[in-house]
Amino acid sequence: MKINFRSIRVGILLTALLVTSVLVLRQHRQVPATKVPAAPVAAVPFAPLAKVKGPDNAPVKIVEYSDFECPSCRVVQEYVTELFKNYPGQIQLTFRHFPLTSHKWSAYAHQAAECMNLQGKFWPYHDILYGKQNQWSVALTPPLEFLTQSAQGLGANMDLFAGCMADVAVTREIYAEKETGTVVQVNATPTFFIGEERFVGPKEVKERMENAIRKIVGLPAKPVVVEPSTPAPAAPLAQVAAIPSAAGEKKP
Amino acid sequence: MMQEKSYKILFLGRMFLGLVFAYSGYTKLMEPVENFQGAMAAYEIIPYGVIPLLARIIPWIEFVFGVFLLVGYMPRVSAAVLAMMSWSFVLLILATRFMTGALPADCGCFGEGSLLHFSPVQVVCMDLINVFVGIRLALLKDHPFSFSAFFK
Repeated sequence: MKINFRSIRVGILLTALLVTSVLVLRQHRQVPATKVPAAPVAAVPFAPLAKVKGPDNAPVKIVEYSDFECPSCRVVQEYVTELFKNYPGQIQLTFRHFPLTSHKWSAYAHQAAECMNLQGKFWPYHDILYGKQNQWSVALTPPLEFLTQSAQGLGANMDLFAGCMADVAVTREIYAEKETGTVVQVNATPTFFIGEERFVGPKEVKERMENAIRKIVGLPAKPVVVEPSTPAPAAPLAQVAAIPSAAGEKKP
Repeated sequence: MMQEKSYKILFLGRMFLGLVFAYSGYTKLMEPVENFQGAMAAYEIIPYGVIPLLARIIPWIEFVFGVFLLVGYMPRVSAAVLAMMSWSFVLLILATRFMTGALPADCGCFGEGSLLHFSPVQVVCMDLINVFVGIRLALLKDHPFSFSAFFK
């Protein structure tokens, strides 16, 4: 068999050229994963703060990667609240942003939540976002009015809030946080971690997480009650404002 | 001996197939990989574990072989690869429909910021055409206006 070295050389050159062009173009033309609401307000100096609930000395440290627009993430909040109630002082929860690009208003909600975090009001705002998810996530236009009113309702400094909503540094921080999830292979929301152990979606949280907590705090395991109708975790970045179904989230 | 008309049709077919895949790969490569991961996850039969890997590999294959086919470098191999990919997409869509009873609204074949968005049903039709064109091109020995012609 005759090998055409000229052809191979051209192939290698062509491939190298294509790969280089894509990498260069990608650096210069970063398609934003989300649109950041623009507001003509001066940016606020931004220093990222962890979103932590529960005492530092709690034996159970949970990390949650969640999306505010994902229905499964809303459902799971009920179980998490229950866990805090059942194991007082034993749990510390760290929230990490994982906004799915497929959820069109998610970026706005995460930006607003991070802005409220800067004012020390993350958790009440978090509860409002999930509690009223059905209202703002179905909006046809960005739910800025809802986000602003909710912030106002919690007594936020609205000048700071408006400036923060336009601050790209905040957006960058949100996506940096999301990247930490991508690194550990988070590809569905909500995903919880207790140490190395992972719990994806309300079903796993309900069926397995409590026993994982009980094991750490030295309690005997509880019998698991399996409920087949629990919503499945959200497909990451599926191109939709998710519609919950028995099978999980689907594109509209 | 192939007729000139057939040659022209197959040349157009090569351009079409190459463009579709090159554009599809390019739009995905220009976006965060999570977008494509999400599109893949919407097909519920793909195991979560392989999605991140596939989402990083497939766009490059589409883009590189799409351009190869456009310029006519290794046109037979490129056409065969793209035909196989098209066929696997057809199988994926059919299997998802059969196993889950539902399909995502957008096929996820092009990036979110792309100008083209097809439903899975539309894509099955297009992919079947792609498979046919790809196989014909893979069987064709001489490709007009191609790089490969220079190396003979």
